[in-house]
Amino acid sequence: MTSPFLQIDGLKKQYGKVVAVENVSMTIEKGEFMTFLGPSGSGKSTTLYILAGFQDPTRGDILLNGRTLLDTPSHQRNIGMVFQRYTLFPHLSVGENVAFPLRVRRRPQAEIAERVRHVLSLVRLEGFEDRMPANMSGGQQQRVALARALAYDPPVLLMDEPLSALDKKLREEIQHEIRRIHHETGVTILYVTHDQEEALRLSDRIAVFSKGVIDQIGTGPELYSNPSTRFVADFIGDSDFMRCQVMAVENGKANIRFADGSIASGIPTHGNVLVGNETSLMLRPERIDLARQPDAMRSSIPVTISDVTFLGNNTHVKATTAWDDELAVRLPYGHECVQGLSRGDRLFVNWSPDVAHIFAE
Amino acid sequence: MLLSYQRLGSWKWVLNGIAVLTGVFLLVPILFIVALSFGSSRWLIFPPPDWTLKWYEELFADPRWLESMLTSAKIASIVTVLSLIFGLLASIALTKGTFRGREVLRAFFLTPMVLPLVVLAVALYALFLELGLNGTLTGFVIAHLIVALPFSIITISNALESFDQSIEDAAVLCGASPWEARFRVTLPSIQHGLFSAAIFSFLISWDEVVLAIFMASPTLQTLPVKIWGTLRQDLTPVIASASTLLIAFTVALMVLVAFIRKGKKS
Repeated sequence: MTSPFLQIDGLKKQYGKVVAVENVSMTIEKGEFMTFLGPSGSGKSTTLYILAGFQDPTRGDILLNGRTLLDTPSHQRNIGMVFQRYTLFPHLSVGENVAFPLRVRRRPQAEIAERVRHVLSLVRLEGFEDRMPANMSGGQQQRVALARALAYDPPVLLMDEPLSALDKKLREEIQHEIRRIHHETGVTILYVTHDQEEALRLSDRIAVFSKGVIDQIGTGPELYSNPSTRFVADFIGDSDFMRCQVMAVENGKANIRFADGSIASGIPTHGNVLVGNETSLMLRPERIDLARQPDAMRSSIPVTISDVTFLGNNTHVKATTAWDDELAVRLPYGHECVQGLSRGDRLFVNWSPDVAHIFAE
Repeated sequence: MLLSYQRLGSWKWVLNGIAVLTGVFLLVPILFIVALSFGSSRWLIFPPPDWTLKWYEELFADPRWLESMLTSAKIASIVTVLSLIFGLLASIALTKGTFRGREVLRAFFLTPMVLPLVVLAVALYALFLELGLNGTLTGFVIAHLIVALPFSIITISNALESFDQSIEDAAVLCGASPWEARFRVTLPSIQHGLFSAAIFSFLISWDEVVLAIFMASPTLQTLPVKIWGTLRQDLTPVIASASTLLIAFTVALMVLVAFIRKGKKS
């Protein structure tokens, strides 16, 4: 059996009594784009720093091609990294910045020149060799930092929120660049972000961090359609939650009852959902249908409309249940209910049981 | 802005007037001494009846003046080197260290700035009597190092504080060993701070007179001490020319600092 390309095995990091990450394990394929997604303090950056060698784990191991990385100091790990802050060497030109990792490796001059030209063209900054970092925009500086990290052909490239200091438009532009560079070079990328949209846009797979542990690892569509915890459901995409009580659980499906007595059955459960538990039913806003009549074939509850916002291709509707949970509903343009819809209208929301989720709380 | 220069109206002229007066107040004594050094009057009459270079000739003809200049330069150079080394090490500890009492130590390092020089001079004199350091080059260097170090620490600490640690981390991940990263990335990145610290340290020692008077012996005198000593014996325009040289050298160094600052900004 061949060992996986990169394996993180039972990583734990503890500062005094505070556990920063615990039980973090995953395997990463060569050439994969893996994103660590989570809010600040969730342990995603700590995991990346351990990979970089800036911190030692309390427990666990990191294996690259089956060999541990932990006994190799940072500067010999041959890992590339792009930081959140601008880290170009201020006293060196762009060309010398990119050449730096090759110079410390004592590569021949001709090879350095060739390599610098190649990676600068990769990030579309040909001809910027003599520019000083102070005379460049933030986006350009991060592209140079990317070129510098790629100059020595590292097997793994770490990126720690590299775009968080840039404005939205520039961020999207560089996201495209990163995707293109990932495709062109085939480098394995571990990317840290707190921006779920950025994660979905870039990644092959996403590991969702919450409070120091990984809640779920999967592709974007997997996480969106089948989140395994309430946190993942809440963090990725928009979601509606309705309070309810579990009446019965069978084969991973639950029957529930809402506060107004309406019931719904056959809803997929995640985690250890127990009969009698107070919990929440999760739905994606675009999976909810609004109708004048209850739908006997599907789950259905009465609601009161509290807000209607027309946004062109979509109409965003806010609906309130009898027990005061607010639901966001997204109706496509031309939906039969949109016409004449206004605040205070009483309608029904309908959904198929199999697109809803119930999580252990 | 509340205090916009453009909106001051006629107050602008008052402000300009004060600025000009301040400049004159600061510059006149210096211009005065420079003019006198080229004046022909033995009795320092102003305005000078005629112009001459003979005081400079006299200055350069006297080996004791040259010797004191050399002594000053020697002491200031050693002080500069030591002040840079100690200042850099102390600044690294103060900015990167995480030990207890760091703020207390920072305040302690800066006390020579606020301590009256005379007090320091008397204390050092008493101590050096015990150690036999009065009138020695070592004594001079230690005394001047004490007053130069706070300036060096402030300047280098500021430079280090504005230097992002991630830049050094980036150099390490690029394959540079931690020491290589410090020498090839961190030190060059704070070179403006190091230059400023060096020039300030040099000037502090070069200009210093209070400590120097206590440390000096008849055979070992700095230029300011020589000027002071000569002044007490007889008022000769040679003092004016020695002062002018002192000023010229100081101004040259300040101009250099200004150029370095400007280079940093662009």
